[in-house]
Amino acid sequence: MNVRELFRNKLENSEVIPGDSVRGELMRKLAVKEFMSFNPARFNIFYLGGVAAVALVSVLIMTSRPTTNKTLKEHTIIENNKTPDTISFTEPQKQPSAEKKSMPISQVVNITERKLSTGSETKISIKNIDSKVINSKDEITPAIKTDSFKIKAIYQDEVSDKNKQATLQRTIGAAFDVSVSGGCSPLKVKFLNRSISYDSCRWVFGDGGFSNEKNPEWIFDQEGEYKIILKVFNTDGNQAIASSTITVHPRPVARFEMTPEKPVIPDDEIRFMNYSIDAVKYKWEFGDGDYSNSFEPDHKYRIYNNYNIRLIAWSQYGCSDSMLVKNAFSGSGCFIDFPNAFIPGSGGPVGGYYSIRSDEAARIFHPSTSGVTDYHLRIFSKLGIPIFESNDINMGWDGYLKGQLCEPGVYIWKVRGTYKNGEPFVKMGDVTLLKE
Amino acid sequence: MVNDLIIIEGCAKHDRRSQQLLYDKYSRFLLGICMRYAEDKAEAEDILQDSFLKIFFSIKDFSGTGSFAGWLRKVAVNTAITHYHKNLKHRYHIDIEEYVSAETGISSFEESFYTSEELYIVMNELPAGYRMVFNLYAIEGYKHKEIAEMLGIDTNTSKSQYSRAKAVLRDKLDKLGKLKKSY
Repeated sequence: MNVRELFRNKLENSEVIPGDSVRGELMRKLAVKEFMSFNPARFNIFYLGGVAAVALVSVLIMTSRPTTNKTLKEHTIIENNKTPDTISFTEPQKQPSAEKKSMPISQVVNITERKLSTGSETKISIKNIDSKVINSKDEITPAIKTDSFKIKAIYQDEVSDKNKQATLQRTIGAAFDVSVSGGCSPLKVKFLNRSISYDSCRWVFGDGGFSNEKNPEWIFDQEGEYKIILKVFNTDGNQAIASSTITVHPRPVARFEMTPEKPVIPDDEIRFMNYSIDAVKYKWEFGDGDYSNSFEPDHKYRIYNNYNIRLIAWSQYGCSDSMLVKNAFSGSGCFIDFPNAFIPGSGGPVGGYYSIRSDEAARIFHPSTSGVTDYHLRIFSKLGIPIFESNDINMGWDGYLKGQLCEPGVYIWKVRGTYKNGEPFVKMGDVTLLKE
Repeated sequence: MVNDLIIIEGCAKHDRRSQQLLYDKYSRFLLGICMRYAEDKAEAEDILQDSFLKIFFSIKDFSGTGSFAGWLRKVAVNTAITHYHKNLKHRYHIDIEEYVSAETGISSFEESFYTSEELYIVMNELPAGYRMVFNLYAIEGYKHKEIAEMLGIDTNTSKSQYSRAKAVLRDKLDKLGKLKKSY
């Protein structure tokens, strides 16, 4: 029977019992798929409910979009309807920028004195809400806490000799501080609202996110420059706006591979291939105590072990990422291999003990191994007569039997045992005994 | 045993109970097919689930003429091919040693000597491309030209992959045989 017939006969209609979880998982997938594909046959209350929920959520999302077309005046000074043109209120201070970590705002109002259109001097007395008279050239520094602060200016018009008054509401002011103005993604930023005279606020974070909290926290998980906008509103219908920029640098990605993939330790030198992205500086920890800062280092391990290898990569902005390969050589380091020839010395039996250094001339037949815990080697002549046996991995065959050098030729070996990962092995082959 | 036709009718109406009956009746048969196309049982079970989803959603297309089992087999094989294409990018590793296996050793095998579990294992160890071609040609009985179209490869590639697959399988069976005898 050839290969094709063998497989066809045995496997064409052979059955395999699926695992217990397969059925349940299939039914779950089926339910999801049926739900997703509209099917009148299965149209029921759940389906209706699901559709209604989806519709509701989408309506909510649509309506909660921030309205962006409103134009805002940065500072609104509301005076009462008939403001005399003798008084002007100017704010010398610009909106404090968040990046400068501004001082608490003291809203300074300069009051300047001007001439009336009639040309005569105007006497002005200005009172704040507490009716405290202040001089015209004074600066009014209202307490931050009083949201309803108003300035009342009373002046006497010499021409008409009437008292007129102007009322100034305290200006609403928007400002905020940030915990950091830049960093590596994902970047968590705390915002501290330092606005004054406001009742509600709205933050727009520039990445599509927004918040109505007073002092929100936000995580920026994508690189980029984000314009943070804070709008504050008060019940008088005034609003103010402040903005700042957060710079989020990309985080590099640390990636590496090793070659050879299944190295023979300690013989092979391991070459590390660096596939990191957006990085300029590297640190390799080989797990055996050695370090390297090269881009793609080579490393030779002195003994076999399960090393944890770590690569840390830094970007030009100092952002870092790391990749750790645990037990980098587990399993892969286990092997047992035999040579196919050896040359016993003719000077008499030497015993089979060997070490890799002492047997460079291949005097002793022995395996090259790694990670072998249990070991049983037998050697037969071509006729199947047992010649040599060893349970000691350090004990090879010196080519002698009972003090006599065996005939040159082919001998059969067979080995069985266990690797330290628990995997058993059985191997057999032949070895040629060569004459010195 | 419930009649296939009743089950099919129920499945066409998306009746849950009929779907479960269909699964109970045919899952082992279909997994037997999927196992040949997969690297391990977990992957085979993935293919099996996808196959059943396809079956449940297109059972109304089953004409009713011809063998139902044959139709199911076709769906499973097609799903396996889709799966192979989807995972192709993950499979750029093909052991070099597989290429050099010479056509040596015994070329006749005793059917009773190997269990189907062993044959599945040997099959699973084949490089994915070889496995697809070998299955489609040797077991499903497609022509090389058809296989070439299904897998999007050249007809000659299909032929050469088939003969290499055979050589690798022969080699693996030989080794397995020796190992079994030595115990």
